[in-house]
Amino acid sequence: MSAAWLLFLPIALPFAGAVLAFIAGRAGDRRAPQWVNVGTTALMTLVSLLLLSAVWRDGPQAIQMGGWAAPFGITLVADILGAVMVVITALSGLAVAVYAMADIDEGRAKLGWHALYLVLLAGVTGAFLTGDLFNLYVWFEVMLIASFCLLVLGGDKAQLDGGLRYVALNLVATVMFLMAIGLLYGLTGTLNMADLHVTLKTVDAPGLVTTIAVLFLGAFGIKSAVFPLFFWLPASYHVPPVAVSAIFAALLTKVGVYALIRLFTLVFTADVDYTHGILLVIAGATMVTGVLGAAAQNQVRKILSFHIISQIGYMVMGLALYTPLALLGAVFYLVHHIIVKANLFLVGGVAKRITGSFELDRIGGLYKAKPWLAVLFLIPALSLAGIPPLSGFWAKLVLIEASLEVEAWVIAGVALVVGLLTVFSMSKIWLEAFWKPHPDGDAAVGAVALTRGETVALVAPIVLLASITVIIGLAPQPFLDLAARSAQELLAPEAYVRVVLGGLP
Amino acid sequence: MGNGTLETAAPTEARSRNRFRDGGRWMGFASAVPPALVAAWLLSLLPRVSEGRPVLWAVDWAPTLGVSLAFRIDGLALLFGLLVSGIGVVIMLYAGSYLKGHVHLGRFFLYMTAFMFSMLGLVLADDAVALFVFWELTTVTSFLLIGFTHTDPKSRRNALQALLLTGGGGLALLAGLLLMGLESGTLRLSAMDPVLIQGSALLPGIIVLVLLGCFTKSAQFPFHFWLPNAMSAPTPVSAYLHSATMVKAGIYLLARLSPTLGGDPLWVWSLTVAGALTAVIGAAWALRQTDLKQMLAWTTVMALGALTLLLAGSAPISLAAAMTFLVVHALYKATLFMVVGILDHEAGTRERDKLAGLARAMPLTAAAAVLAAFSMGGFPPFLGFIGKELKYEGALALVAAPGVAAFGLVLASAGMVAVAGMIAIDPFFGRQRKSVSARPHDPPKSMLAGPLLLAGLGLAFGLAPGVISGPLVQPAVTSVLGGPATVKLALWHGINLPLVLSIATFTLGVLFYIFRTPVVAGLNAFVGRLPMTGERAYDGWLAGLKALAAWQTRILQGGHLRVYMATTLGAVVALTLFTLFWADALALPAAGSPSLSILGVTVAVTAAAGAAIVVTTRSRLAAIGALGIVGTAVAVLFLMHGAVDVATTQFLVETLVVVLLAAALVRLPRLTQTPRRNRRARLRDGILSVGAGLTVTLVMLAVLAEPFDRRVTDFFEAAAWPEAFGRNIVNVILVDFRALDTFGEIAVVAVAGMGAYALLKGGMAVPKQPIESLILRTATRGLAALLAVFAVFMLLRGHNDPGGGFIAGLIAATGFTLLALAHGVGLARQALGGAPRIVALSGLGIALLSGLAGALAGGAPFEGLWLFLGGDPAAGDKGIPLSTVLVFDIGVFLVVVGSVLAIVFGLEEEA
Amino acid sequence: MDVVLALLAGVLAAASVWLMLDRSLVRFLFGLALLGNAANLVIFASGRLTEGAPALIAKGAAAPEGDVSNALPQALILTAIVISFGLFAFALSLVHRAHKDLGTTDSETLTIAEGSDRT
Repeated sequence: MSAAWLLFLPIALPFAGAVLAFIAGRAGDRRAPQWVNVGTTALMTLVSLLLLSAVWRDGPQAIQMGGWAAPFGITLVADILGAVMVVITALSGLAVAVYAMADIDEGRAKLGWHALYLVLLAGVTGAFLTGDLFNLYVWFEVMLIASFCLLVLGGDKAQLDGGLRYVALNLVATVMFLMAIGLLYGLTGTLNMADLHVTLKTVDAPGLVTTIAVLFLGAFGIKSAVFPLFFWLPASYHVPPVAVSAIFAALLTKVGVYALIRLFTLVFTADVDYTHGILLVIAGATMVTGVLGAAAQNQVRKILSFHIISQIGYMVMGLALYTPLALLGAVFYLVHHIIVKANLFLVGGVAKRITGSFELDRIGGLYKAKPWLAVLFLIPALSLAGIPPLSGFWAKLVLIEASLEVEAWVIAGVALVVGLLTVFSMSKIWLEAFWKPHPDGDAAVGAVALTRGETVALVAPIVLLASITVIIGLAPQPFLDLAARSAQELLAPEAYVRVVLGGLP
Repeated sequence: MGNGTLETAAPTEARSRNRFRDGGRWMGFASAVPPALVAAWLLSLLPRVSEGRPVLWAVDWAPTLGVSLAFRIDGLALLFGLLVSGIGVVIMLYAGSYLKGHVHLGRFFLYMTAFMFSMLGLVLADDAVALFVFWELTTVTSFLLIGFTHTDPKSRRNALQALLLTGGGGLALLAGLLLMGLESGTLRLSAMDPVLIQGSALLPGIIVLVLLGCFTKSAQFPFHFWLPNAMSAPTPVSAYLHSATMVKAGIYLLARLSPTLGGDPLWVWSLTVAGALTAVIGAAWALRQTDLKQMLAWTTVMALGALTLLLAGSAPISLAAAMTFLVVHALYKATLFMVVGILDHEAGTRERDKLAGLARAMPLTAAAAVLAAFSMGGFPPFLGFIGKELKYEGALALVAAPGVAAFGLVLASAGMVAVAGMIAIDPFFGRQRKSVSARPHDPPKSMLAGPLLLAGLGLAFGLAPGVISGPLVQPAVTSVLGGPATVKLALWHGINLPLVLSIATFTLGVLFYIFRTPVVAGLNAFVGRLPMTGERAYDGWLAGLKALAAWQTRILQGGHLRVYMATTLGAVVALTLFTLFWADALALPAAGSPSLSILGVTVAVTAAAGAAIVVTTRSRLAAIGALGIVGTAVAVLFLMHGAVDVATTQFLVETLVVVLLAAALVRLPRLTQTPRRNRRARLRDGILSVGAGLTVTLVMLAVLAEPFDRRVTDFFEAAAWPEAFGRNIVNVILVDFRALDTFGEIAVVAVAGMGAYALLKGGMAVPKQPIESLILRTATRGLAALLAVFAVFMLLRGHNDPGGGFIAGLIAATGFTLLALAHGVGLARQALGGAPRIVALSGLGIALLSGLAGALAGGAPFEGLWLFLGGDPAAGDKGIPLSTVLVFDIGVFLVVVGSVLAIVFGLEEEA
Repeated sequence: MDVVLALLAGVLAAASVWLMLDRSLVRFLFGLALLGNAANLVIFASGRLTEGAPALIAKGAAAPEGDVSNALPQALILTAIVISFGLFAFALSLVHRAHKDLGTTDSETLTIAEGSDRT
């Protein structure tokens, strides 16, 4: 397949799938949208893997949309980071799509849930593949509006309330982002990120560039849910159906982190001491406040939501340290986290199905009754906590080593302590939901029986994601290779810039 | 602390649901096979290793990080490996019978086996990271084992405590090991150059971190308290993990790192102080226990303290003492744990004062207990005696405070003598028989074989110390020392200071035993007056953590949207403003680009006034009107500066916004129903608002002061007509140069339509009455038709003149909206000819297809394909263009119409 | 004029922040609408202002004659306006629905998703 197709299909496929799913759903077949969804995400996975292999083999790939050369038209471009993110998006998208077959009720499906879901994925992939800043804004909006809809679709009261908070705070971020783009364009006359990399070297207004960089940092900081901009996340992630929580947890904040990484390696690198210094402070505060937030919760999805925040801190830490090893860690962490976090929400959903609640003091007995679920929970949970030999261990190991290497003692200490606190709050779920007997007695566990089909749909994705976690843990080297190449590209983006700008100087 | 009753209750309760043949006893036998094989294999390596030729095996694991799965079996590793596997065999056999019939027996052996292999990995690993991996695995598996009786809250609590303490220490250890790796340039423990590490400025940090890991794992003061609590695990677990293996991991690592880190005063003093305190505390607390298992746990603490103390030194004799005592301790402690388990099992309790005179009923158990107790008390000719002599000799050879160390050891060992008496004499001897179960008896052979064997070994090795000194202890000491050493173990060393100390120990120990009641009372009184114990510190720490977490979350995530909004905005505004000033980025543009126009200023002031009205008014209608004014004024500003399409769109969108707001707001409560903010909030919000406005204005002015690079627009102006065949540059950008933006944008609109529709249709649909006016209805019908025609006109001309898909779509939507308002949604739906959301999504599909067409034709996606009908090239007339670009714009048109109408219909149909 | 636009953008931004911090979600919506206008002004002025000629190419010409307005920011604003409209319409519907189901548009009285531990 040519580069054009490899880059465009990951965006076009979900859009086509969305249109098809919606029209098929309206045409009457109740199950058609589900299958369109699963089929589309499976195809996306395939194509994105091809894209990744092409990038791995031949270096960054780019196409100019409409055939208009950069920086005039819009470029789609994939370096390792972009391609990896697309793969992981498709993969987690596939897993959650399968899960959704048993999780999304007919009412929501009728209102277009599957179409919205695919649009969300399209927005996310678009964000990962675009080489244009304004286009990035557009994909953010696609993602955002789809997430709005998914969040409130079906509309029970908690969903509406949580949705309001999510919508209000994210809209602010969006406008900030838009203004920042306008200002940067006013300063440089270009929107192409590779071109910005080149152009900013000639702009003689260092202070202003830094100021605008900080504005971007704010906008993406909200998206990434870093301290002190994360409020929208714990206010809303626990309200929608599990499939929605899971895909949000996997992808949304990570798009923000991706954008931070992209801009603060490719575009804003003039005053690293200042900008990345801020990022480092933010990273530490995010880790700590997030994990403390989790420690204060007693509801499975709220605990998991706060953990997202805390883990985002680790990724930002990798970016902030801005060394090859640290960026390697950030990329590795991104990949690991998406898999693990989506999975934890999925497991939480199954646990709720079996025990009847997300509230820890109302549930229990899972360890005795469903040992397989205990195993499936332990894998992502231990991985999240950084216990070896699972994916999260390597992610934390790299970041801690990276911080020790540059003698950033404070952040290294924070990362370690937060690791312990993560163990603490994950063990809370284990102790309460799994070990503790169900307060209503053993009979309350599994009172609502799942059909065979439902069980397969719910458990297969969990097994898939858990296997990936284990594989990354046991054989980390290929993933480290990817992350290392990616870090290399990020720190020396010449190849990226060349492939985007083509023959231009 | 003791909870013997609960632990034994679980298997009994579960027995009825036993799923395994033979109650699962076969599982014990099966599980004993792997450790037996490992032990045999390790024994076969013994000759080679004791000759000083370690066994190496390595494979790359994560070369990027320099991590390999490297194993190296030297004397130290072999000694530990044999303890782990050898005692493993015995324990597995024992456990099969002990837990016979337990419902989770399969899990139990799974965890035990996993633990055993983790432990083996730990002691055999040569790579620091690999070692850490196994270290953590022992933490996790032991967590599962300590909490094995998970229905008991105490078990869960204690499992968590062990997990947090050893896990926390583990993280410190990781940092320490990584630093050692960075300083020495390798992660291979055997290749780390002591000179590099000892010379490092980071040495104190490394030592502290490593010791945190070792001390927590090996239960050194002040982290010792988790170990006795971990006794809530089933007895085989305690016998294995908390005597011979896991708690020794810290000791192992101290020994392993001794060549690299040892000798530094910080290392020496930390080990000496922590070890001595731990030993004394362990012995004293052991005397206080009534539960025999607790008593053993505390003696383990004592032993770990002694081992740590001995490892402080680097004299061969200290190390030899440590290694010998390690073996001694493993043998007697595992035995005694198993004996206590047997008592618990067969006599129904392990409370000291409920057991007596059982020797006749349980002769073999009593024999094992007595044999082990002799070793524990350090009586000749048991190995324990040799161990104790060596301990004293070793302690006296310490660098730091040898006298104090020896004194501490004497005290602690005297305690051991007393404890040995309490465990081996009290339950089994005496005239009166005391037992909870009516007919106490010896357990089955599989439970007895282990204790008897291990206790017997304690005697055998004592009689023939050469069996272990040459092949086992000496190579281990050599490894720890990092150089050759000779170790000779003997029962008789002649009359020397250690012997004197030994005699003192016996005397003191026997006195402790005889006067145990007053001694324990005295100790209890002393403990009662302690201001703080580790246990209480842990509880306090945990409570503090929870309180901090709750407090922080209340402050940060208190549930008030306004606070979230204010914090979010405030943080970004403050940081941006700070940067603006800090980076000295303030600047003013040169005057007059373009120069002020009176009209322009008037319009701008109008817009500002409109905004002021929106801010101040308490009337919904006034607010909506004022919003309209602002929007219109901004549109005029666009128009004044040549932005025709933008102005048109802005007018249309503004109209729609006003219409939607008006339609929705009549159903929303009045603004006056929501309380105004109080004075403090007004001040805060006022500052924030001004700050935000200031940020926007100042950054913008600074940008405007810079020169502008217009090359992208220059290209568009040059290429729009010759290459993209359009005269309206803005439209060409939208549908061609940046078609992907537009595509994403219509996706947003389509989805917004779907979402809004879903929200609005959430309730039951009650069609609203259409407007009752014949004239109006006729007029709107005509107007709607007119608008539809106009829309198509705008759509088609858009590429060359102001217009295009958006504008056309908005106009058409306005037409249908009028229809809906006047004639009801039904008619408007009919006129549309399809459900609005289907129209919208079809439009999205069409736009996508037009984008794909370019790629299918071999170009890039969204590359325009053009077909000109009847052109006259000579006259510069290309003819009537048919293009994918136009198809794209039709897609845009459909999306806009469909989505806007989905919202309008939704609002209109909504109750 | 660019200074005037910068000032106006600032005023609109300030007004919108004030409105968005209100307890009333309706006023939040007003603020949102204003903020969109402010952002559009920022983009518009960032592309620098001209005296008025629209970015059109006359029949027979290959390129616009003389200085015309910068077309790129206009295209961006068009995109942004439409997107903002979509988001605004959604937000409006959400507030509307929330009022119907939750019975309030006062953000301080919304305590279902948060504020209590139960959902």
